[in-house]
Amino acid sequence: MDIGLITQMVLAAFMGTFLYTIIGIVPGTDETAVIAPVTLALVLSGMEPIVVLTFFMAAVIAHKLTDSVPVAVAGVPGGVMATPMVEHSMVLKTHGYSDMTIRKMISGSVIGTLVSVPASLLLASLLIPLANAIKSYANPIFFIGAIVLSLLSKNRWLALVIIFPFAFLIQGLRYLYWGIGVVPEGTNVFTSFFLGITIGPVVVTLLDLLNKEKRTSLVRHESKVLRFNQTNPFKGFPNPFKILTKRELLYSSLASILGSITFIFSAVGTTVLIGELFSKREKEPVKKASLAISCMEALANATYISGTLIPLIALGIPLSSVALGPAQPLFNAPPVFTQDHNMHHILSFGEITLAIVIGIGISLFITYYLVVKYSTQITAFVFKWIPHEAILGLFVALVVLLAYMDAGWMNIAGVLLVSLVAGTLHRWGINFGIQFMILYSAPWITSLFIR
Amino acid sequence: MQNKSEQKEKGQFVEVWEDIVSLKDLSLALVLCPFITMIAYFLAPNKGSFPLFYGLGGALIGFILCSMIVKPKRKFQQDKDEKEWI
Repeated sequence: MDIGLITQMVLAAFMGTFLYTIIGIVPGTDETAVIAPVTLALVLSGMEPIVVLTFFMAAVIAHKLTDSVPVAVAGVPGGVMATPMVEHSMVLKTHGYSDMTIRKMISGSVIGTLVSVPASLLLASLLIPLANAIKSYANPIFFIGAIVLSLLSKNRWLALVIIFPFAFLIQGLRYLYWGIGVVPEGTNVFTSFFLGITIGPVVVTLLDLLNKEKRTSLVRHESKVLRFNQTNPFKGFPNPFKILTKRELLYSSLASILGSITFIFSAVGTTVLIGELFSKREKEPVKKASLAISCMEALANATYISGTLIPLIALGIPLSSVALGPAQPLFNAPPVFTQDHNMHHILSFGEITLAIVIGIGISLFITYYLVVKYSTQITAFVFKWIPHEAILGLFVALVVLLAYMDAGWMNIAGVLLVSLVAGTLHRWGINFGIQFMILYSAPWITSLFIR
Repeated sequence: MQNKSEQKEKGQFVEVWEDIVSLKDLSLALVLCPFITMIAYFLAPNKGSFPLFYGLGGALIGFILCSMIVKPKRKFQQDKDEKEWI
């Protein structure tokens, strides 16, 4: 390995860290929607896979650490993963402990990261012997996965009913493109459909705004008033092991190990379930809230790291909610990565470990320091200067660009259609996990009907 | 008529993706960002991954332009922690 490559990795880690420290704080940004398109663009640009992986790990860690900052500072979640923490941090806020909330959260993040990296590497090496068996049944596994996730979801019958029609919509568009000749036959348009599903909920809301009846009946708001906490600057370099109590340290470590083992399941679901389970027995409200947020932060990091690393190292197919979501471009980004030729096949165990160490190391160190020292200033900067309209514009622009690159102008309409259906399904309680599994197994599901 | 003035009293912003936006500014951003992105994409030399990078650059320029034109709709109020952590 040469110095040039290592330098690129370090630069990529810095880039991912700074970009996602800011994006993480922006309210409402879904991890998949913000991390996947950029990672995808880097993969498609022909950047060295090991550099992309470093960037991705740095981005994930920065985003995970900072998306809970606005929760503590202003009671607004910075991302989907931070939503379960709002309730607990409000308890601490009303008791006047916002400063400590941030420090507990971010220390929990550090613990989650430090525990889950070795745990994931270990679990991955245990899974490798089973990998071939799992890989050869990838398509039916995704199909069964869609069924299982449907059964576990809020609207299980609705989800089950929709599996075949949604698969046919995706394959239908692909056959249409082949028929007209905008893409060569056999090339599966994947990337832009994936992004279409990701921004589905936003697209449906935007289309609602074009619907006259809906628009006039929409609830109108005044400017949003955010109550900010003036935090006290921390002196010296904070030590996460001292910020957490012994019990918080033990529980968040245990939670991280559990979170790594359950890597297949939904990251948000696991975080809520295990986090609440661990803090349930504590009755004193402040202690309970503090324990809950440190465990949940640890879990959020653990589920993300294990969900990426275990499928990446052991399987080579995106068999976890995180790998199907934000980490998707590491597994599938045609024409650079396909199911039989992606990071799993290209990088060795040692290379993956190096990328993790550089990416996570740099990101954890910088973000931790920045957040503990300047959480209020960073949040105030982002909230004051970055309008939500610009964020929406940016993501719509990325989707339009990648849709055009996949299959021309026609595909912009195609992606809009996929988004509309996906967003509506999302509203009905059919989560991304189910939709991504269907996207993966669509060719296989359709092939069952070939005569 | 009645309905319109009522709406004005309540404010002119709507919620999209967990934050509030003004319809006018949102329309501007949704036209401007993709437009600049695609222009940059087509201006790029047609080899390797140049078009993609130009497109990404365009998206970034669009984002910065929108951030300068559009004002965020959030207002602030400062609270202070009353207690030190024990």
